[in-house]
Amino acid sequence: MSNEVYTLALKSTLQEIQNACPDVTSNFIFKDGKILAQDKNTNEENATQIIAAYDTIAERTDIIGGLETMTIQSAEGKVNITSINDLHLTTVSSNEADEKYVNTLTRILIPIVIKLVEQIQPASTDNETITIDQTETEDDTTEEIVDENEETVDETTEDTENYQPYETEEETATTELDEETEQTETEIDYEPLLPEPPVTQLIIENLKGFRVPADTVRVDTEVIAQWNELYSDKKINEVEVEALNGKTTRCKVKPIKKSKDSGKGIIKMPEKIQLTLETAAGELVTVKPVVE
Amino acid sequence: MVKKTSNQETATAVIVDEDELSPDSEEDQVFTDLSNKLAEIRKDKGVTGYILRNTTSATIDLKEPEKIVEYALFSSQVLDSSREISNLFELGDVESILIEGKETNALCMTIDENKISIFMEKDTDHADILKRISP
Repeated sequence: MSNEVYTLALKSTLQEIQNACPDVTSNFIFKDGKILAQDKNTNEENATQIIAAYDTIAERTDIIGGLETMTIQSAEGKVNITSINDLHLTTVSSNEADEKYVNTLTRILIPIVIKLVEQIQPASTDNETITIDQTETEDDTTEEIVDENEETVDETTEDTENYQPYETEEETATTELDEETEQTETEIDYEPLLPEPPVTQLIIENLKGFRVPADTVRVDTEVIAQWNELYSDKKINEVEVEALNGKTTRCKVKPIKKSKDSGKGIIKMPEKIQLTLETAAGELVTVKPVVE
Repeated sequence: MVKKTSNQETATAVIVDEDELSPDSEEDQVFTDLSNKLAEIRKDKGVTGYILRNTTSATIDLKEPEKIVEYALFSSQVLDSSREISNLFELGDVESILIEGKETNALCMTIDENKISIFMEKDTDHADILKRISP
């Protein structure tokens, strides 16, 4: 979906909000100092000046940890500017407006539309993200067997406990993927916006071994526990890993099982992923959970 | 309370002493009342500080006094820009401004010529504070 369609979706939503609540006299959305969408009543010149005024306040908000929401109560109305991710929604309403109703409309409906539009938007926006080719998994595992060492044996023992033939795994993964895609297309997720995924910096360690999946990294249990705490009702199955050179990839994630590796701030990574990221053991990467 | 010192080139400096001020000066009385109210509010759990100033005086009580300049600039900017925004939408005089930060909130307002900013933790009842400080 192009930016124009994205803007149109937001613009229509803003207009509908105003139709539903005539006490909302003006509303618009801006991002990075530019108007993204506005309703018919909003004067563009005024909106630009408001953005400038807002930005001057935002520049001074380090002492309060950054600006989230601003509400100006004036004699004849109210202005509310709320941050939704990197977008800012401005709503102007009269004093007669039902605050709860307006908040329900704006603070819930807009994030839903943004989320929905982003879900519908093709993955082309993530051009830099390299997806691991599942079909190459078997070949790589064979190569890794040659590099067996002490660690390999440990890892192999761990993995053997959960071992399932690759074909079955692939089938399951494919089925899950299809189901997820269908759900995305047919269902609208009305849940509130999730918090931004935290970015964690970890040091790469080699993950080698017999039957070690080439598309899975192992991350510190403490880090995974933090993610689970943050997204209590979401299961973190995948992570986005970014190397210092800017290369990114998305792969499956499992916790590090060995207790001696716990709390060391490491990520165990198969060679294939290291090659994809053009990085190596001992180097730093940033990892953030993929929440869907 | 600190009072402004007025200097004249050819005359001796005139120091305006608080005790000598006319007690019925309405502006001063409002400032004193607000100052007292803010001192009470400051005792509330969650209230981390306040700034009260008018054209001649200022009272500041902050949890982080070393950041007094940042707080003062923030306060001033919020009041000025909010007035500008309100004027653009023709909404009349600004009564109050609530700034919700990621860590703390700030409630700013102007009462007569007195500019007030109250800083508080995020879960503090700002509506109650607003009610108590309003005339």
